[in-house]
Amino acid sequence: MLILRKFLRDVPAVIGFGIIVLLCLVAIFAPLIVSDLERVYDGDLVSRLQPPSAEFWFGTDSLGRDVFARVIVGSRGALQVALTVVALAIAIGVPAGLYAGYTDGWGSQLVMRLTDVFLSVPQLILALAIAQLMGRGLGSAMAALALTYWPFFCRTVYGEVRRLRNALFIEAQRCLGASTSRILFVHVLPNVASAVIVRATIGMGFTIMTTAVLGFLGIGATPPNPDWGLAIAEGRDYLPQSWWAVTFPGLGIFVTVLGFNLFGDGLRDIVDPRLRRSR
Amino acid sequence: MKRRTFLMGTGAAATMAMMGSRGALAQPMPDELIWADDLPGSLDPYSVSDVPMQGYMINVYDTLYVNKENPPKLVPWLATGHTISDDGLTVTFKLREGVKFHDGSPLISDDVVWSFHRLLNVKKGPAAAFLPVLDPSSITAPDPTTVVFKLKQPYAPFVAAFPLVAILNRRLIEPNVKDNDWGQAWLASNSAGSGCYIPDIASYQPVQQLDLKRNHDHFMGWSHNKSPIEMVRRRTIMETTTRVNALIKGDVDCTDGYLPPDQVDRVLASKTATVSKNQTMRVMVLRMNNKKAPFDNLNFRLAISHAFNYKGFIDGVLKGFAVRNAGPIPVNLWGSPKDLAPYDFNLDAAKEYLAKAKAEGAPVDREIEIQIQQHLAQTTQAAQILQQGLRKIGVNLKIVPNLWPQLVSSTAKIDTTPDMWAHWVSSYFIDPENWIGQMYDSQFHGTWKASCWYKNDKVDALLREARRLDDQAKRQPLYEEASRIIVADAADIWIYNGIELRGISNRLHGFEFTPIGSGADFRTMSLTS
Amino acid sequence: MTRFVLHRLLLTIPALVGLLVLTFIMLRVLPNDPSAALAGENATPGQIAAVRKAYGFDEPIWRQFVIYVRQVGTGDLGNSIISNRPVIRDIAERLPATIELTFVSLLFAACVGIPLGTLAAVWYQSFFDHAMRVLTVAGLAIASFWFAIILQMIFSMELDWLPLRGRFPVGLAPPAHITGLYLIDSLLTLRFDLFGKAFSYILMPAFTLSLAGLASIARFTRAGVLETMQKEFVHYAEAAGYERRRIVWVYVLRNSVVGATTQIGLLFGGLISSAVAVEAIFDWPGVGSYAVNAILTSDYKAVLAVTLVVGLIYSIVNILVDVVHAWLDPRVAESL
Repeated sequence: MLILRKFLRDVPAVIGFGIIVLLCLVAIFAPLIVSDLERVYDGDLVSRLQPPSAEFWFGTDSLGRDVFARVIVGSRGALQVALTVVALAIAIGVPAGLYAGYTDGWGSQLVMRLTDVFLSVPQLILALAIAQLMGRGLGSAMAALALTYWPFFCRTVYGEVRRLRNALFIEAQRCLGASTSRILFVHVLPNVASAVIVRATIGMGFTIMTTAVLGFLGIGATPPNPDWGLAIAEGRDYLPQSWWAVTFPGLGIFVTVLGFNLFGDGLRDIVDPRLRRSR
Repeated sequence: MKRRTFLMGTGAAATMAMMGSRGALAQPMPDELIWADDLPGSLDPYSVSDVPMQGYMINVYDTLYVNKENPPKLVPWLATGHTISDDGLTVTFKLREGVKFHDGSPLISDDVVWSFHRLLNVKKGPAAAFLPVLDPSSITAPDPTTVVFKLKQPYAPFVAAFPLVAILNRRLIEPNVKDNDWGQAWLASNSAGSGCYIPDIASYQPVQQLDLKRNHDHFMGWSHNKSPIEMVRRRTIMETTTRVNALIKGDVDCTDGYLPPDQVDRVLASKTATVSKNQTMRVMVLRMNNKKAPFDNLNFRLAISHAFNYKGFIDGVLKGFAVRNAGPIPVNLWGSPKDLAPYDFNLDAAKEYLAKAKAEGAPVDREIEIQIQQHLAQTTQAAQILQQGLRKIGVNLKIVPNLWPQLVSSTAKIDTTPDMWAHWVSSYFIDPENWIGQMYDSQFHGTWKASCWYKNDKVDALLREARRLDDQAKRQPLYEEASRIIVADAADIWIYNGIELRGISNRLHGFEFTPIGSGADFRTMSLTS
Repeated sequence: MTRFVLHRLLLTIPALVGLLVLTFIMLRVLPNDPSAALAGENATPGQIAAVRKAYGFDEPIWRQFVIYVRQVGTGDLGNSIISNRPVIRDIAERLPATIELTFVSLLFAACVGIPLGTLAAVWYQSFFDHAMRVLTVAGLAIASFWFAIILQMIFSMELDWLPLRGRFPVGLAPPAHITGLYLIDSLLTLRFDLFGKAFSYILMPAFTLSLAGLASIARFTRAGVLETMQKEFVHYAEAAGYERRRIVWVYVLRNSVVGATTQIGLLFGGLISSAVAVEAIFDWPGVGSYAVNAILTSDYKAVLAVTLVVGLIYSIVNILVDVVHAWLDPRVAESL
């Protein structure tokens, strides 16, 4: 209860949480919000690039489709991609970082060299190669992004674990006879959790952003998918006069990333045991 | 103390930036043209034959014949004329006298022969038009102003293809040949020409920039132009929006030839620039793989042909900047039948044809695929419009993005050729052969132009005969009949013949458009302040 | 300390070998047969096959890799299929532009981000803290090319304060080539007018690129400072009467920027990739736009070369970051 009250005091975090909840609701109930799902895929070519009006709240895009409907339905894809990629990256990166940070010797070195290799390959190229292997589409784009992102988690966790390894309280646990896995999961992990959370929330935004670039090169979401990144890529030739085609999907990305980050910050402030003292 | 110096440093930098940026306000020099169209990948005119290379070559090099005006006419340039023997196998060119390369050495018939030898050995770029009919040994120069070509078989578009071949200065290239490469490595970033403008190689950054100086001694002279441009600075701009903004701001004097129709009004409304609109010979076509079911069924192809909203695309997306093209030959070129009726957008008719196809056993329920070039927005838009129409008649179309080099290689075999894909056929030489000949004659199967895998013996016979004859009056009815058959067979979906939209600044005069080279002929241009 | 540096250098070698293998495998997987495109618009299948043979695309993969490794060893990364010039020359010409852009962006992000993060931590939970958190997230969330276009519209089209695109005015000779970085070269040759020009051109692209990095650096600094402020030595210093400003900016900061420096290292590699969009909008003649063009034209030798070069740079930066890390936190050097 104390934790909850502390959380509620952190206004941006609460706002962030609110945004995430709103986003999930919109994604789940999209078919109800958008009365006619046809408007996402079909447009009247005569009414292309219409500015926002009573009929089209966010205007129409270059093929006459309702931008509002596309933004709402696009929220599903955005959430799906961001969550999947980050979850995958954590699933690979955190255990690897724990292992590499806590142990010495060949295994640890191998993991860290692997992160160096993956980190030094430009994302675009890795994504393209994986897309060719797995066939173009969102699935391969997500795999590619996860493969380029896990090293970030690994390195972050590695750094934190290295610092903690020689901390007094860990050594105390060792002397008391705690097993390595117990030390790792009960004592070390909560201390690195905050860094992982901050990384994860940054990763959400990064993922959605990168998907836009991949969409431009023809990897990832394919037309007529109302993916936000793809919509921006498609709409940028019509700037600056038809600004709504790019601005509203851009706002969607902005609000989503904002929500995750603010929430992540608040979460970290609570979870981090170092900050439990009153300050 | 550290903080103070840091702040002082920032302040100094900011002040210098403001001072420096006042240079940004200055307009380009009054007698310099800033040309913002795409540069070719390499400077060797035999390395590739695409639109940017055409635009580069026509200024830096000379060819035996050139295309001028719109609709284009073949005009003697380095040659004064040619004669063709009665059997069509010997073509003799007479060359102009007194022509000099940029380095001062004379251009004579030996240079023409050497250039063609290089072309036939390098086997890239424009070589494809000549390899089937020429051997290096069959080109001779009996005297300094005569060149004789002996063809292996008659080929009507032979002379029409000559504007593709630049005449090179062997004296500059031969000393730089490495490993028998005919100087390709060297010529990729150097020049060896005789044309109206001389590249300043020191300024060359591949794909990004090149400066060109006027050649005062060009053989055609400059009397036609009161104030020719002394210096052309070519700068490539990558993003469409940046390009248009730069034109409106006055930083550059042109955009490329693909100005989005939606930006036309904005450019016209500006005080600094206008839009030049010219009908090209560039046909947009959606290919269908005639050998893959259900596309091997005529009724299915007819159904698809009626499911595309042509009017919506041309009037809505392209804002009317295109001309509906019924068949493969551009409507403004001879050989295209004037009375050929194009397919229209009719979903009821489409449904009927689809039902007939289904009754004949065609697998109409399978999901079909169209491959687009993702960074060419029009292919995406056309695909989505087709998708919308097809959805209404119950056909599932999936859109797959791909890239040009991959698409071209995939058309080598029937099973790797996509169900459908979208591309344009541009004008490389002005002859129906460039369109209908290379697209629908079955001898070209395995190339991207013939990726519909269409085979019709009657059409083959018509096209081969037309290719052989050299009298346009005799060839025209053959091409017209072939067009009718191919359209009745609904081999592909032909959408439009393009109208090139190019932004040009108000201070630029003398911009003369031809479909080849897109009017980037600096010779006729001048600037007013 | 020297032992640490040497050790770190040795560790890079396996990483680079791994990079070579990984990139080669990846790129051979791409259906990157540009023979057809090279043979020309009107080529027949026979002509295309001839081009394929001439370029060696038909050799078995393992043989191509052996040749490749030998070539890389001698510094020959092949010719760009499109421009027919040595790829290493193309990249060498374009690399300084990207390096300069990345450095200026990073410098800006650090100079603004570290103070912001520290202040936010010091004034924890204040309005400033909340505002900074929201604003830095905005930097992450804004689509870079959208922001770039807005900047262009306002500062270049409307106000005409800054140039629209490019790295240097058309027709003006850039400073004498010493490093290839216009800002440094113009200072070294004492051409302050050229420095001003170069600076005005790099301002908007660098600012756009710095936004994401700014957010990351600020937040990690904030986290680091918050944590350090809890430590006992801070309380001791306060009790002992040290001036607060000095405590925060000298002692606390030095202990807190460890996290931030790790991020800076990671960011450098990321910035080179993110520079693609910025380079495209502003026509910045760098390696990012070169790589994208190479991918789009299946110029696989160029793609491979860019990957290797960027990978090498990244490894070097990482070594530097680790060294700085060790300098800031001597315990890391010891823990070897």
